[in-house]
Amino acid sequence: MSAAGSPNWLPRKRPSGRRALLAILMLLVAVASAFPLVWMVLSSLKTPAETMQVPPVWIPRAPNLEAYEKVSGVINVGRSMWNSLLIASITTAGILVTSMMAGYAFAKYSFPGRSLLFSVLIATMFLPPIVTLIPLYRLVGSIGLNASLAGIIVPNLANAFGIFLMRQFISGVPDDLIDAARMDGASELLILFKIVAPSVAPAIAALALFAFVYHWNSYLWPLTVLQGNADDYPIVISLSRLLSYNRGAVNTGLVMAGATLAVLPPLILFVFLQRFFVDSIVGSAIKG
Amino acid sequence: MTKAYRASAGIMLAPAVTLIGVFILLPMLLTVWLSFQDWSTQTPFAEASFIGLDNFREIFGSASVGRDFKGALLNTALYTALSVVLILPLSVAFGLMVYQRDVAGGTALRTVLFSTYMVPMIAVALVWSKLYSPSEGPLNQMLGLIGIGPQPWLSSPRSALVSIVFLNVWQQVGYFTVLAVAGLTQIPGSLYEAAKLDGASRREQFRFITLPLLRRTLLFSAVIAIINAVQVFEPVALITQGGPVGSTNVLTFHIRRVGIERAQGGLGSAMAVMLMLSLVVVVCALFALANRKDDE
Repeated sequence: MSAAGSPNWLPRKRPSGRRALLAILMLLVAVASAFPLVWMVLSSLKTPAETMQVPPVWIPRAPNLEAYEKVSGVINVGRSMWNSLLIASITTAGILVTSMMAGYAFAKYSFPGRSLLFSVLIATMFLPPIVTLIPLYRLVGSIGLNASLAGIIVPNLANAFGIFLMRQFISGVPDDLIDAARMDGASELLILFKIVAPSVAPAIAALALFAFVYHWNSYLWPLTVLQGNADDYPIVISLSRLLSYNRGAVNTGLVMAGATLAVLPPLILFVFLQRFFVDSIVGSAIKG
Repeated sequence: MTKAYRASAGIMLAPAVTLIGVFILLPMLLTVWLSFQDWSTQTPFAEASFIGLDNFREIFGSASVGRDFKGALLNTALYTALSVVLILPLSVAFGLMVYQRDVAGGTALRTVLFSTYMVPMIAVALVWSKLYSPSEGPLNQMLGLIGIGPQPWLSSPRSALVSIVFLNVWQQVGYFTVLAVAGLTQIPGSLYEAAKLDGASRREQFRFITLPLLRRTLLFSAVIAIINAVQVFEPVALITQGGPVGSTNVLTFHIRRVGIERAQGGLGSAMAVMLMLSLVVVVCALFALANRKDDE
């Protein structure tokens, strides 16, 4: 198709008409993707009169935080955000420690049954949580952890994805580095946290972000285990209380203000650290 | 590595293996065991009494328990199939947009698409329930601008499930786009150069190089998309409660309602076992299909 004699290995540019079409298409996709969240934030800043207007008011004329004040009257925002922060950060810390330890063992030790054990653990990655929900609910109740933050946190302190990710990246750490530290008499735990961990820091950051966002957003398990103990509700469960306000457009602003509050922490983390997210997804997909 | 490290291996593995063993593997085995028992979720496991296949007979029977379960199974299958059928092609199309270098802005597009994946599903459900609102909702307003009448979205049994598929696709497609881009970067540029030398058009390059070499990525994406789709819960629990007329009663919602809220632990476990078996069958079929294509 290209003119004879032109170097074929140079990337051919599309004709400019096609490029304009592609640019428009990309813009449309971006707008469609961003629209719901932009609309959510804009609606949270509208007055009730504006949210009811037909045809709709897209941009609030006098942006105000009234809706956010009203949310605080319906749900305990501070307490819920604090609960979410506790749940997400303690769970994340646990996942980091257990995943690094197990990932190190799978990457750097050989022991009988290694590949069988690894396969069994990895298989749990593909198990939808609903499959184990009923006995888990009973099990957690029987050890006295139901209706508490501990009941939300403890069953999630280890997971297969973390072990898998850590094994992938720790495998790449040179054995010489580890052996040298052993010569110096360092213990295995010290080697893991002082020598191996720093050299896989990006993967640890990625896992931390994934775990934090996943457990900030998690809904099914906290809802089930808390049994209506509203003091311990994370923000995503408190939000469902806004359901009673969901009927009728007059409270759209209120509902959107609540949603915005819940969305902000994971979204802010993502904006600053998206490189780690993307790299680790790519890493887990390609190396898997 | 020598035997000296076996003790260390034990220590390193103990926390993760114990936690996963107690809180995932043990409950999984209990689910299978409970599916053959008559058991109320409000009683200790010791109260369970063996009833053979009665739970399975009941959930596939013609009484209301059976009708509800079979409906939920069908709804979940439809929901999953629709989600995968929409997500996979979109992820490849969006992946090509992010990956290409003819037009700037690919990385920005990736950021926008992927950001929705960070949003808690409960917030997605709240926002979309307002977007879908029949009268003042923005979607019907925008459709009105291009001359399409108002759609019932979540309030009609014919469109409710599809409406939830749309919000699921909106939330998840960015994640699968990143996977597709990862697959695209794995394709050696030399293949395209050789194809150009042979005079292949862009369309032919896509058909005979890109698509075949993305097959592994697409298989992985399909498996993850299926596993994610059967977990749909928040929009149903928050907005539709399984309705209208059972049209959005999906398995995760239904199993929780039966097994936790109604405390029929045996019945719920039998349903969970059927979900697990269905997943194994579908995933194996996908792999078999992919392997057969590999042999061709």
